[in-house]
Amino acid sequence: MTTRPRPRSMPAMVRRMTTGLAMPLGSVLLAFVLGGLIVAATGGNPFSAYAALVCGGFGIGCAGGENPGLQISNTIVFVIPLITAGIAVALPFRAGLFNIGAEGQLLAGSIACTAIGIKFSSLPSPILLPMVLVGGMVGGALWAGVAGVLKATIGAHEVVTTIMMNYIAQWFLRYLIVGGPLQLAPGTSKSSPIGAGARLATLLPNDNSLIILGLPSSVFRVHTGLLIALAAAAGFAFLLWRTSLGYEIRAVGQSQKAARYAGISVRRTIIVTMLIAGGFAGLAGAIEIAGVDHNLTDKYFSDTTGFDAIAVALLGLGSAVGIVLAAILFGALHAGGSVMQADAGISGNLVFILQALILFSIAANFVGAIRQRIPGLGRPTALPPDLPPAAPMMTEAAAPPTEA
Amino acid sequence: MAYKRFKFLGVAAVVLMVAMACGGSNNPGTSKQYKIGLVTDIGGLNDKSFNHLAYVGLEKAKTDFGIKDDVTESKSGNDYVNNLTGFASKNYDLVIGVGFLMQEAVGTVSGQFPNIHFAIIDGAGTDANGNDLKHTNVESLFFKEQDAGAMVGVIAGWMEKNGKAKKNKHVIGAVGGISIPPVNHYIAGYKWAATMEDPSIKVLVGYSNDFTDPAKCKGQATSMISSNADILFQVAGGCGLGVLQGAGQAGVYSIGVDADQKDADPSVIASALKKVDVATYTAIKNVVNGQFQAGALTFSIANDGAGYAVDNLTVPAELQTELKTFQDKIKAGTLTPPADIPTP
Repeated sequence: MTTRPRPRSMPAMVRRMTTGLAMPLGSVLLAFVLGGLIVAATGGNPFSAYAALVCGGFGIGCAGGENPGLQISNTIVFVIPLITAGIAVALPFRAGLFNIGAEGQLLAGSIACTAIGIKFSSLPSPILLPMVLVGGMVGGALWAGVAGVLKATIGAHEVVTTIMMNYIAQWFLRYLIVGGPLQLAPGTSKSSPIGAGARLATLLPNDNSLIILGLPSSVFRVHTGLLIALAAAAGFAFLLWRTSLGYEIRAVGQSQKAARYAGISVRRTIIVTMLIAGGFAGLAGAIEIAGVDHNLTDKYFSDTTGFDAIAVALLGLGSAVGIVLAAILFGALHAGGSVMQADAGISGNLVFILQALILFSIAANFVGAIRQRIPGLGRPTALPPDLPPAAPMMTEAAAPPTEA
Repeated sequence: MAYKRFKFLGVAAVVLMVAMACGGSNNPGTSKQYKIGLVTDIGGLNDKSFNHLAYVGLEKAKTDFGIKDDVTESKSGNDYVNNLTGFASKNYDLVIGVGFLMQEAVGTVSGQFPNIHFAIIDGAGTDANGNDLKHTNVESLFFKEQDAGAMVGVIAGWMEKNGKAKKNKHVIGAVGGISIPPVNHYIAGYKWAATMEDPSIKVLVGYSNDFTDPAKCKGQATSMISSNADILFQVAGGCGLGVLQGAGQAGVYSIGVDADQKDADPSVIASALKKVDVATYTAIKNVVNGQFQAGALTFSIANDGAGYAVDNLTVPAELQTELKTFQDKIKAGTLTPPADIPTP
């Protein structure tokens, strides 16, 4: 079989694409196979588990009476913040920076959004909505900017500083809504709701008496933040590939020395990259408040969107389209987990195992190793050169930048 | 190479199709089988507390009434609305939310599905400001925590009075999570009963402002122990496990909460019980018997919905009699533990 000649006419672009897609697709497939084995080993039926997962995530083939429209709506609600937060991780990746602080920046964004949304709650929507969204972006940008400035000036490693900033954001949030100035009332652990004008509209009318697809239309929580997230993904791609700043970011990521030789200010690029990344993460937090929760609650103590975003960025290979696709997968896993537990009796924790397996197999590049060992699966190829593996990037970036 | 890859995809497609086809289908019997959905909060089924007890109640109801029961664990606060909606949209006969964290979600979803019955442990269906919406399809399962708190308060006070504790300086403590009504009810009963047993007693009360991080509660416990407290009552959920451990390490006694926490640490001499299993079972029973009632349903010592357990301690006969008399008096209504923490 291996003698079968490769068609010479295969365009280089298609070949590059299949090589590029092999890693993420292979990782996902590997994770699902291993996950299925784990389900089988613990006495469950992997096929019914995955069928329920597909039903819960995409509303396809539901056996337990789920409403397909509702499942798709649930998935999209989870996908929205993952896209913007995924960009917040992917953009610094391009500059050779590892932003683990998307969660903290997201929280900073949600805090800023809520504070503005409460303070100016009487303003009309055309003024207030942009205010809370931009406010959230500024909050996230400032939070990430701290790490950027520290990195650019004294060389403090962004992995360490952004992790620390996560904790500061979490505890600051806790202070604000438990005994602090944003607390709704003594004995509660949430803030007052933001003004009506600060809320993102749902795509379907928020009406309990209007029946759509057999359910009250208010149960479909998918909101206009979806359009913002998709616009953010497009903006990210434009910034990266069509602007000089994007070129500088990529140049710094490839080699700081070469970038400096080309006249690019490495320090400035690092700070600007982190500011923009934080803005995207802050936007994710602001959209969550404006579109879903309408107030800060204790759910944000245990929120993991910013950490899931790391997996989304890696699986999406740092490209806009990839991030959207990876966010859809992770959102569907999240929404599907509940249905899987209710219908197939498989613990929803399987979803976490799958996510971990996906991330693990990307990080360890299992697919690459398998392809090298098994000749029939194709020639050993290096990773796509435009996104080097995380580890060397981090070591290179670990050295404090020095302006020549 | 390309061929191989396509073959691989083909296999994957077949696997996927088989997976789709395997979706279960079951025939419902002729008599109506009630469908009950339970949604846990982020603690999950193995929290050894509320969620676990709710599941115990659900399983008992399944045995007794032959209901179809389904459970969904919430992985984050994002899931409450989705999980409740999931059961409601499938026309379940009763959807149970565990814990006051779900109040707002139950308020929202019960408004969307006025024909579905909901029950919520320790809360009501509220709006974003925490106001009870008083939906006619929501049953609130509340507890008189002060009853359970009083019983363990009797144990603590009696031991201090009779010199059976470790330091016997007439100082005991209580570590609360956040200063919210259910937490304060426990502490109120505890302080009230302990003071009745031992009028010279000093009850230290502190809050960790947290329900999950044991380290924070352990800090509170350590500072109380250094103030001579030698019996510590934890009212802080997962955070409170730090109180039990802190007491164990300092060689003093501790008291568990909500569920029997005998196994959490050897220092646990008793637990104040909130019988969430009884409440869950009762809510299901009401639906099966067509007796669902909206509004508050309160569980106390009087209806066996609250109580205590003696754990790693051999109870002297004298204390046993004292506990029995006390419990009988509460049951009869001659003693009523206060809901607010008494000021000394």
